[in-house]
Amino acid sequence: MSAHRNRLFAALSISIAAAGLSAGAYAVDEEAARALARQNGCFKCHSVEKTLDGPAYKSVAAKYRGKADAEARLITHITTGEKAKFPDGHVEEHKIIKTKDMNEIKNLVSWILSL
Amino acid sequence: MNNPPKRLGHAWQVLRRPSAKYSLLSLLVIGFFSGIFFWGGFHTALEATNTLEFCTACHEMRDTVFQEYKQTIHYSNRTGVRAICSDCHVPKDWTHKMIRKARASLEVWGKITGAIDTKEKFEAKRMTLATHEWERMKASDSRECRNCHSYDGMSGEFQKQTVFVKHQKADAEGQTCIDCHKGIAHKLPREYRDSNE
Repeated sequence: MSAHRNRLFAALSISIAAAGLSAGAYAVDEEAARALARQNGCFKCHSVEKTLDGPAYKSVAAKYRGKADAEARLITHITTGEKAKFPDGHVEEHKIIKTKDMNEIKNLVSWILSL
Repeated sequence: MNNPPKRLGHAWQVLRRPSAKYSLLSLLVIGFFSGIFFWGGFHTALEATNTLEFCTACHEMRDTVFQEYKQTIHYSNRTGVRAICSDCHVPKDWTHKMIRKARASLEVWGKITGAIDTKEKFEAKRMTLATHEWERMKASDSRECRNCHSYDGMSGEFQKQTVFVKHQKADAEGQTCIDCHKGIAHKLPREYRDSNE
C-alpha cells in the first residue's frame, strides 16, 4: 500500500515537473523578443527562415538543440561582442545588444532556441 | 464718426497718402532698421522653438520620446556631439523650415485637443506619427540625417566591414538613410515589422 502511494507520488511529481517545463516553454514572450530584435537591428543580418549575413534563427536553434550550454553560449554571443565568422570568411565583432536587462536578453535567446 | 468700418477706411487712406511731413530718406532708414528688428525678432522666436527645452516643455514629448532618445547615441556618445530634436525633425534651410513650422501648427491643435496627452493615447498613435515622419524623411532623401552623415564620409577603416559593404550597396542602389535606420532615436511602434523578419 505504501509502495503504491510512493509510485503515485512519484508519478504526480513527474507530471508537475513536466507541466512546469511546458509552462517554461510557453513563458517565452515572442512579441517582446521580436520587438527587442527589431529595435536592435538584428533582422538586418538575421532572419527567422533565411540565411543573410548571419545564419537563420531556425538554423541557430537546430545547431544548439539539446545542448546544455545553448542559452549561455547565445547570451555570450550577443552581449560581449565576440568574433563572428561571416559567409565571405571574414571575421568581425558581433553587435552587442543595447539592453542590460537580463530577462529581456534571456527571453530573446529562449525565443531563438524555441524555433 | 465712431463707426469701425469708417475708421478703418480712414486709417487705410492715411496709410496710402504720400507723407508730407517726413522725407523719403527718413522713411527708408526707419523702414530698413524696423525690417532688421522685425526679421531678427522673428528668427529669434523661431529659433527658440528649435531648442531641446522647448520641445520637451510639454509632457507629451518629455515623458515618451524624450526618455527613449536619452538612451541612444544621438543623445550621449564618446565625442559629445549631440543631435537634438530639431536637428532631425526640422529642416535647416529657410524654405523647408518654414513649411515644417507651418505644418507643426497642427501639433498645437493636437496639444489643445489632447490627442496624445496620455501614454496610452501616445502608444495608440505611435505608428501613425512615426509613419508621417518616416514618409517626410524618405521624401527629402533623409535631408536632416545628411546634415551630419554622408556616404562619402564613411570610412571602411573605421566602420565594420559588413556595415561598410551595406552602406556602399545602399548608396549604389539609391537607398536613403531612413530606409534602414528606423527607430534609432525612439522606440519602434509595436505594429512595425522588419522586412527581413
